[in-house]
Amino acid sequence: MIPINHFLVLSAIIFSIGMYGVLARRNAVLILMSVELMLQAVSINFIAFAVYLHPEQFTGMIFAVFVIVVAAAEVGLALAIILRLFRNRQTANVDEADMMRW
Amino acid sequence: MGMEQAWLIPAIPAAAFVLLLLFGPYIPRRGDWVAILAIGASFVLFFPVLLDLQDAIGSDPEAFQGGGKSWEWISFEGFEIDLGFFVDEITIVMLVVVSFVALLVQIYSVSYMRGDPRYGWYFTVMCLFTASMLTLVLADNLLFMYAAWEGVGFCSFLLIGFWWEKRSAAEAAKKAFVTTRIGDVGFLIGIIMLWDKADTFNIQEIIEFAEGGGYDETYLTVAVLALFAGAVGKSGQFPLHVWLPDAMEGPTPVSALIHAATMVVAGVYMVARTLPLFVVADPIALDIVMAIGLITIMLSATMGLAATDIKRVIAYSTLNSLGLMFVALGSLSVTAAMLYLFVHGFFKAMLFLGAGSVIHATEKQEVSELGGLARKMPITALTFLLGTLAMIGIIPLSGFWAKDEVLVAVEHEQSTAAYAILLSSLFITGLYMTRLYILTFLFEARDKEANHHAHEGGLLMALPLLILAVPTVIAGFVVFDAVGEALGFVGGFGQFVWLEEPHEFEFHTDIAVLSTVLAGSGIVVGWILWQGKATLATRIRDTLSPVAALLSNRYYIDQVYQWAIDNVILGISKIVAWFDRVVVNDTGVDGSAGLTYFAGFGLKFTQTGRLPNYALAIAVGAIVLAVIFIGYEVGVN
Repeated sequence: MIPINHFLVLSAIIFSIGMYGVLARRNAVLILMSVELMLQAVSINFIAFAVYLHPEQFTGMIFAVFVIVVAAAEVGLALAIILRLFRNRQTANVDEADMMRW
Repeated sequence: MGMEQAWLIPAIPAAAFVLLLLFGPYIPRRGDWVAILAIGASFVLFFPVLLDLQDAIGSDPEAFQGGGKSWEWISFEGFEIDLGFFVDEITIVMLVVVSFVALLVQIYSVSYMRGDPRYGWYFTVMCLFTASMLTLVLADNLLFMYAAWEGVGFCSFLLIGFWWEKRSAAEAAKKAFVTTRIGDVGFLIGIIMLWDKADTFNIQEIIEFAEGGGYDETYLTVAVLALFAGAVGKSGQFPLHVWLPDAMEGPTPVSALIHAATMVVAGVYMVARTLPLFVVADPIALDIVMAIGLITIMLSATMGLAATDIKRVIAYSTLNSLGLMFVALGSLSVTAAMLYLFVHGFFKAMLFLGAGSVIHATEKQEVSELGGLARKMPITALTFLLGTLAMIGIIPLSGFWAKDEVLVAVEHEQSTAAYAILLSSLFITGLYMTRLYILTFLFEARDKEANHHAHEGGLLMALPLLILAVPTVIAGFVVFDAVGEALGFVGGFGQFVWLEEPHEFEFHTDIAVLSTVLAGSGIVVGWILWQGKATLATRIRDTLSPVAALLSNRYYIDQVYQWAIDNVILGISKIVAWFDRVVVNDTGVDGSAGLTYFAGFGLKFTQTGRLPNYALAIAVGAIVLAVIFIGYEVGVN
């Protein structure tokens, strides 16, 4: 059996890539994709721990499925917002979308 | 119907109060007949209670412990309060005074208050007062009594300030309320102290607990003196007597009922009910009761000499009488105190109603504007004369018997000094009551115009005066066995109302002669001084002008209080106000609001609205938390 550390390291790498994307990218669509990466990193963690700690239960798998469902819904919502933003501002650059400040 | 149904007596006026309060304007004649019927019903219900009481006392008065009924009011685990009504001999004496005088005063008021814009409201409040007063009398526990005590105080406030458009009336109402409240705080403290140890509010149980040695002596002394403070406030004793003369701003029937016959004697009644506690406590408690009574007697009698308002003079005589009752209580003679209370209720109410007749007829209150009214108002003049002589204590009027009981008690129990002060006050009482009578009713009218229009106030005003004249003359005879037996208490008043043991009436000829000589000489000297144009009195006043000024300024006690309020209390208030404004408001309330405002002003610049900044903040925050958590875990392990 593959040791759990492998999964954890994989998960950490994907999470870091996602976090880098969120912090460094300026395009809203790319940020959204990076967020998805972070979510999937977490899902990997859930499944890994579920298999290693309580193989007889499905809690972790169910959580992963939930994360996927929520992520899908979130993508639908976020893309709609980005679409509206682009329609109004003719840009998807988050640096230029600062109308919510004080 | 008997003692168990005694709760009906206050309940009927209370129901009438609710009825008048809600539907008063829709009832014909503004509901005055409802009030009179309700109080009349209370008076009638008094008789079955009296008969039941006499049955219960039976042949063995020493075994009788009082009757009544109580209900559970509050019940928690280990904490119970019962409310109930209690009837014994002291209660019944008080009850007859309250219900009888209240009924007559209500009848009198129909005529006296006619045409007043708040005629209906007057009867509404009078109903509430009567209900509260009867509850106070019948309450079997101190908490219930305290509630009724505040109830009568509130009604007194409303009725003194009945004509509140007049500034002096509004001020007098406020003064009465605040001054009595000072005493009431003491009363409440006393109740709490007694309850704290005995775990009951019931008066009989508290007395049994105290007699069983349940209280520490010092503790009990403080507690009973706190109770006495309540009595001092309510009964207008020195140093809280200042409100009673001012309370004369109210309608005169109110003065007759509340500030002569009933409410002001509530303090005497309360001390009489709790007197066994004073016996158990340190003797200093009774000495203080005695001393306060004596001081009040001397102050009020001398102030009465200089007062110029007819009602105020009677108010001072009330203070004088209340002082006598406390002196009797201080000598442990409940018999004398309750006898004086009993007869005082009748003759003092009659004096006030007579004064009301005079004011109604002439619309003058200053004695310097009255005079010569005896020819115009014979009924008032005659009844007022009886009241005056009863107050002075001339045999065989009721005041004489009661006053002599007090004298006998003091002579047996107290020092010669107290006895001498009491005797000298009799002379002064004779003096100022004679002065009042002469200046009001005899010789030349000083205001011809007012005198010319003066007339009796009609049947409804004359009738209560005449009815009250009967007990004024004969009520004192209850000390005798024969009269007592006719009224149902065998052996006279002393066998009926007593503290330690019932005693038979003894006529002490020496004391009676001495008091009569002193009172009589008061009348004679008063006659010499104030007869005709009162030249002699004027000359004495001019010669002794500092004394006269001292008396007419009421020993400057009011001024001293005013000074104390202006300087001490307002001074402290200013410090408190400063603390409130600067520390509580400016620093505390405004400070925290300002802090939030400035923090918000500073922090709003971090809200850039740019997504990367928020994302960075979240990431950094998560990392910082993770580092702290890991550091903590490492540290623990």
